[in-house]
Amino acid sequence: MANKQKTDVLQGTLALMVLKTLDVLGTLHGYGIARRIEQISGDLLSVNQGTLYPVLLKLEQEGAIESEWGASENNRRARFYRLTKEGRKQLQTETQGWEQTAAIIGRFFEAKAEDLS
Amino acid sequence: MKSLRRFFARLASFTTRRVQDERLREEIQEHIALQTAENLRAGLSPVEARRQAMLKFGGVEAIKQDYRAKRGLPFIENVVQDVRFALRSLHRTPGLTAFVAITLALGIGMTSSTFSMVDGLIFRPYPVPHASNVVTLVSTTHDSPFDDFSYREYLDIRDKTKSYDGVVANADMEAVGFSAEAGATPRIKGGMMVSGNYFHVLGVEPRLGRGFREDEDQVPGRNPVVVLGPDFWRHEFDSDQSVLGKTVLLNGTKFTVIGVAPDSFPGMLTFGHPDFYMPLAMARVFSTNIQKNFFEDRDDRELRVQARLKRGTALEQARNELAVLAKNFEDEYPQVNRGRGAAVFTQFQARTIEDDNWKFGVVFLILALAVLLVACTNVAGVLLSRSRARAREIAVRLALGAGRLRLIRLLLTESLILAFLGGLAGIAIGYGVVEWFHSKESIVFATELPMAIPFHMDKRVLLACVALSVLSALLCGLAPALQSTRVDLVNALKSADVDVPGRKRLWGRNMLVVAQVSMSLMLLTASFLMARGFQHDLMEGHGFTKDHLLMTQFDPRIIQYDATQTQQFYKLLAERMRETPGVQSVSLTQNIPLGNDNFDGLTFVPDGFQMPPDRANFNSTMDTIDEGYFATMGIPILRGRAFLPSDTADSPRVAVVNEHFAKHYWPAGDAVGKHIHLDSSAGTPVEIVGIAQTIKSQNMESPTDFVYMPLAQHPVARMVLMLRSTGDPLQLVQPLKDVVRSLDPNLPMLQTRPYQDFYLNQAVRGPRIAIDLVGSMGLVGLLLAVAGLYGLVAYNVSRRTREIGIRIALGAASSNVLRLVLGKCLVLVGVGTAIGLAMGFALEQLMNSMLFDSGGVDIVAYAVVVPMMFLVTMLAAYVPARRATQIAPTQALRYE
Repeated sequence: MANKQKTDVLQGTLALMVLKTLDVLGTLHGYGIARRIEQISGDLLSVNQGTLYPVLLKLEQEGAIESEWGASENNRRARFYRLTKEGRKQLQTETQGWEQTAAIIGRFFEAKAEDLS
Repeated sequence: MKSLRRFFARLASFTTRRVQDERLREEIQEHIALQTAENLRAGLSPVEARRQAMLKFGGVEAIKQDYRAKRGLPFIENVVQDVRFALRSLHRTPGLTAFVAITLALGIGMTSSTFSMVDGLIFRPYPVPHASNVVTLVSTTHDSPFDDFSYREYLDIRDKTKSYDGVVANADMEAVGFSAEAGATPRIKGGMMVSGNYFHVLGVEPRLGRGFREDEDQVPGRNPVVVLGPDFWRHEFDSDQSVLGKTVLLNGTKFTVIGVAPDSFPGMLTFGHPDFYMPLAMARVFSTNIQKNFFEDRDDRELRVQARLKRGTALEQARNELAVLAKNFEDEYPQVNRGRGAAVFTQFQARTIEDDNWKFGVVFLILALAVLLVACTNVAGVLLSRSRARAREIAVRLALGAGRLRLIRLLLTESLILAFLGGLAGIAIGYGVVEWFHSKESIVFATELPMAIPFHMDKRVLLACVALSVLSALLCGLAPALQSTRVDLVNALKSADVDVPGRKRLWGRNMLVVAQVSMSLMLLTASFLMARGFQHDLMEGHGFTKDHLLMTQFDPRIIQYDATQTQQFYKLLAERMRETPGVQSVSLTQNIPLGNDNFDGLTFVPDGFQMPPDRANFNSTMDTIDEGYFATMGIPILRGRAFLPSDTADSPRVAVVNEHFAKHYWPAGDAVGKHIHLDSSAGTPVEIVGIAQTIKSQNMESPTDFVYMPLAQHPVARMVLMLRSTGDPLQLVQPLKDVVRSLDPNLPMLQTRPYQDFYLNQAVRGPRIAIDLVGSMGLVGLLLAVAGLYGLVAYNVSRRTREIGIRIALGAASSNVLRLVLGKCLVLVGVGTAIGLAMGFALEQLMNSMLFDSGGVDIVAYAVVVPMMFLVTMLAAYVPARRATQIAPTQALRYE
């Protein structure tokens, strides 16, 4: 049940995390992205790393990222993803939107009874 | 924008999915390899490192699924999959596939060809741009809702109405003597006089040259110009581009070719395709009423008026405007317009009011739809039994987690494919039927004029075919699909015999059989009624003799005879033929009975008859004849006398009326010696000198008022010569030709043939086409019903093999088994027959009101059709029932 909640949250925000990760770290392969998100988000993505791949595909289809084959650390073929110009724009708008939402929700939670009277 | 881009990306990857699958596989591998390496570094054992990596990654299959769903177009992929699967499974049962496809093809073929009839007769738009704006303006009287306008009236309508972008007029298509150069013997072609603005207002751009200019239709006789029809130009002039400016002779007058109409415009008529068009101003050259002045007389009504409604003008507005105009006509010209109104008709109204042929089309269409329904129920039955055979397969799929909707889609895909196969074959059948109709054209029209049956398998009909296919796929596929996916999984997987809870399912099948029996009974009844209706018309006789008659038509205006020359010609012709050996008697008549042309109308006021307050005169149909007519046609004179040579232009006007007319206006007294006044009570008095027996002259239906006028007093240009022969009438053709040549070698003879031939085409072979069509529908319906019933009983028997085996083992005789199986069928057929009878009665009422007004119920038809239906259907049930009695109990029980 707890897992389910985790992934639900992930569904909406995973794309944004991927974009941000690529924005900060540049070109990365799938595993690299997964590790990075795991490191930052704690154990949110510790289960089901695989869900990352459909999200990568969707972003690529939308043109936010692009990918090509390259060699990984242990010298095997791996797919590397990179943010496109359009992806950067998308990241910007989505970040703004997210911050706005977070700010509103934050204010909402901080509101006390006396503020509203 | 984003979603569009994504769609294209998906579309692209749809075609490269194998490569993409490979890519994902590789990525996953790499991902797990990297994670494993990481885990190893963290100190796990190799096996555990890999296990943890896999666990962390999650369910590979689920992710692949998700990935695929995001990657391609799952809907299309599924459809492709379904189609593939359906094709495979249909391929496995070729016999069944063929049966279903043929069954549907029969239904769709019948429906599409009859739809082409109704479309051609009613719905197909005029072949002009913005056809829906084109309305038809007609003159109306007490007796006719669809009369023509005179030239003067047309000019008034054209100039005084404001609702239209243009008002055009055309005369009937008529026989015109055509010769490409001077000196050549004229040949008969179909020409139509049209107003100068005709092509312009209708929006028809000539493919060559130009249409008429308005000034070419202003001064009578000034501009002899002609526009050719596309087919005529192709055949007569070999598509010669240099035809413009060429001179041709029409009825002996030189005309200059100024244009050729485009292929898209075969003319505005439903049946006729004019060979060429002439301006109205040239009317003197053509066949207008010679007793009237076409350009001046307001009651010389020979023009059909059509107009293009202005954008934004309501039909109601136009109607009101024309009604006011008609009222003005009535006030201004009471002599000729009293009691005359006007109406504006849409294309649909014009076509349905003018002509009754469409009613046959509609009846045919109803019957064809019934055939299609029978076919669909049949196919539904077949698919049901098929789904029983597949119950296990479906149960397995359901058990493995296939969605019900997904399965229904799969099954519907199958029936769609079947329906499309059927639709394709149906289109072929439709083409066949339409071609068959076209092969009957010469019988239907029996004329030298360019007429064609307007039935085509065009875009509209093909579209209807596709719609019908989809519809029938849903009709016959949905119920079986719903039912077969609603199985009890446990039972279905457990035992081979899935049909334990069968009540509901059987109910559906029983309904199908009842529907089939009733539909085909209705079809058979209809075809029988139609055949009997025509027969009835024929048996009743017409009141005149048809054998030993040779007919031929003349129109001396074709070679520019004036009125005196014309009458002189007829006089000499009759005299010479009377002297010819082999000729028993000779007569001339304006129209032949039961012919293609309409009889003229006569407006009159009878002497001593109390006129109803709302009308000033009456109308009757009339014919102009010479003194030999009654004797030649074998029509008895009941009272008074026939016409005599002494009835000349100078003697007092006389007429003979039919008995119907005499009884109508003088129910008590003797009509002989009474007078009628032509046009109005102040008009020329005509004495009734004789009463002829009533014959069916106009059509096969009920007799009407009829007046005969002597040719000498009522000159007409176009006449038919009728010769009564002592021997074979065809032997008179050569002597007749010789006589005509000696009188004038240039005068063409039209439609020379034995009258009986003509009559058979008109009265027997024409209706025969209808009877054949309906009969074959009835037969197809019956065959399908028989197949359906057979299928049902066979299915039942196979379902109950075990039960019947047990019964036989327990000592049931074969008669008991027969009763068990047949009893049920008897009930079904009985119910079907009852419903079919009800539908048959309803259809008979409809047909009575539309086609044959025989009234009452045709008992004989039912007395033949019902037992026949019973016999055939019970036979269809008996064959499989018989097989049931031969079930060996040992085998049936070992089945488990």
